[in-house]
Amino acid sequence: MSDCKKNPYAFIEAEVIKVTDETSNIKTLTLKPRGDIAFRAGQFMEVTLPGIGEAPFTPSSNHNSKETLDFTIMSAGRVTKLIHQAKAGDVVGLRGPYGTRYPLEQFKGREVFIVGGGVGLAPLRALLYALFNDIGDYKKIILRYGARSPGDIVYKSEIDSWRRKAGNVDVGITCDVGDPSWSGHVGLVTTILSNDGLDIGNAVAIVCGPPIMMKFATFKLLDLGFKDSQIHLSMEKNMSCGIGKCGHCRIGPYYACKDGPVFTYDKIKSLPNIWD
Amino acid sequence: MKNNLYTITKKDLFDLFGRLAGANRVVVPYIKGEKLSFDDFDPKKEDVIELGGVRQSQPVKSFINPVREKITGSAPRGKPLVLAGVKACDLSSLFVQDSVFLGGDIEDPFYAENRKNTTIIASDCTYAKETCFCVAMEGAPYPSRYFDLSISAIDNYFLVEVGSEKGQKLIDGYKTFFKSPSVHAEDLRRAARERVTGQVRDFIAGRGTPDTARIKGMVRKNYDLTDFWKEMASTCVECGACNLACPTCHCFLLFDEKDQAGAKRFRVWDACLYSTFAKVAGNHNPRKHLYERLRNRFDKKFDFFPETLGCFACTGCGRCIEACPGSIDIREVLKGLVSGKWKTPPHE
Repeated sequence: MSDCKKNPYAFIEAEVIKVTDETSNIKTLTLKPRGDIAFRAGQFMEVTLPGIGEAPFTPSSNHNSKETLDFTIMSAGRVTKLIHQAKAGDVVGLRGPYGTRYPLEQFKGREVFIVGGGVGLAPLRALLYALFNDIGDYKKIILRYGARSPGDIVYKSEIDSWRRKAGNVDVGITCDVGDPSWSGHVGLVTTILSNDGLDIGNAVAIVCGPPIMMKFATFKLLDLGFKDSQIHLSMEKNMSCGIGKCGHCRIGPYYACKDGPVFTYDKIKSLPNIWD
Repeated sequence: MKNNLYTITKKDLFDLFGRLAGANRVVVPYIKGEKLSFDDFDPKKEDVIELGGVRQSQPVKSFINPVREKITGSAPRGKPLVLAGVKACDLSSLFVQDSVFLGGDIEDPFYAENRKNTTIIASDCTYAKETCFCVAMEGAPYPSRYFDLSISAIDNYFLVEVGSEKGQKLIDGYKTFFKSPSVHAEDLRRAARERVTGQVRDFIAGRGTPDTARIKGMVRKNYDLTDFWKEMASTCVECGACNLACPTCHCFLLFDEKDQAGAKRFRVWDACLYSTFAKVAGNHNPRKHLYERLRNRFDKKFDFFPETLGCFACTGCGRCIEACPGSIDIREVLKGLVSGKWKTPPHE
């Protein structure tokens, strides 16, 4: 494993402990790394299928859990399709962690307003668990989550336990399109973002989801009164090497893999085409 | 402090290459048709070796950051490489390549090993091509940095300048080949350099190629001139030749494969003109249009690197001009950028 220290492109092995079906095209893999690979919520890793390829994911588990890591992965391309075929006992590779984390120390004593879309709830689950570790340190933890349909909601079995976690936790979910089983709100996630009861001056917002959702959620947050510097965005691009060399994930003068993926909006808002 | 100077005859220089070959891989430029091309030193082909001339077809990155390099395990120590006849435009590109692969928080150990293992014997250009515009890019057609030794053809011998400790050691190891220069050697070198610099200046002036002072900030300023970028990209066939021929282009992809021996990973040159370059999961592509990818190439070279590294990532070598099957000329794109002729359409 010392190889990983010398060779930044080498991975460490990790055993698949469990595979959980989240939706028809999203699974959570619980991995047990054979080596030390600690991360902080918001950072990402490369999950490798040895000899086949790798793709970047932000772990979705509590960064304090040392034994295992969760990765919630949508089947969306060549590598992820194959990752979805993994079974307990299989061995995959892990490389990382890379990039910036959520600055939890800046969130202390504040109202933390979390906005997620689709599988973008994965990094936010890691954030939620990180906040829950010291739940008393935060004034409020508000989650607003939008899924395409009721069947596309991830972490269904856990969301209720988040709601019940403590009095300062507030969870709201919406679906773009409902179905007969759904009695909740119908509409885009921006329709459930409101500043009611929110002390915006003492709040931070965190957004993660598909690019179009990130764009309109950010605009809505600005409308609600958030300042650019209060909005933390997970700007996921085609992060490949993870160390700012391969050139794929450039955003203006930054590389998402090392200068991000977590950026505050003020840092990137003047750059061209950030939402593309 | 002034660098040490020596002289060496052509015969002795080729003898030196012969002595070095064996323990080292010695690569020199050969005349191939109208072009110059690097290949392994072969004493039988001495008559077609051209140490002066102009930049070769291959960018020097080919030897230090090869097109496909195995990056599984630890960096192997191969035969040391002696690369002779490297031109100043390629030396400048090493600043960009070094900054990418050796700079930042984490060094690329494979590049570092190759770089350490390479001795660079640079040389003056003895003529310029019409596609040369190094002087507009703050360069010159003769070496001034990033070499171990630099050689300049003067009459029937070469004036040798030492650029590093590694270069001095090479000379110290083969002292009998090297003599002290005459008092006129440097003047003769200066005159030859001024002559070729003048040729490059004439080519730049003839075409009206803008220099870095005029280009600075122009890509960002004209980023939204969609019509301009579309027009520039209208003959692009997305072959990526400009990226691959470019000495400063450094982007790569990680490519995995496996055989009976197990899984292997390679670092392979990539090209930002390819439609898959920035593509992410779910078929989402931040640069789905060809003009956006062409613009990205200019944004990276003339905006990103000046902002992050303090230098333009174009050395004026002109390889991309020769390589492009669509006749896209980087000088014409730069001219268009500074021309002020292109306006943002009113509806935008």
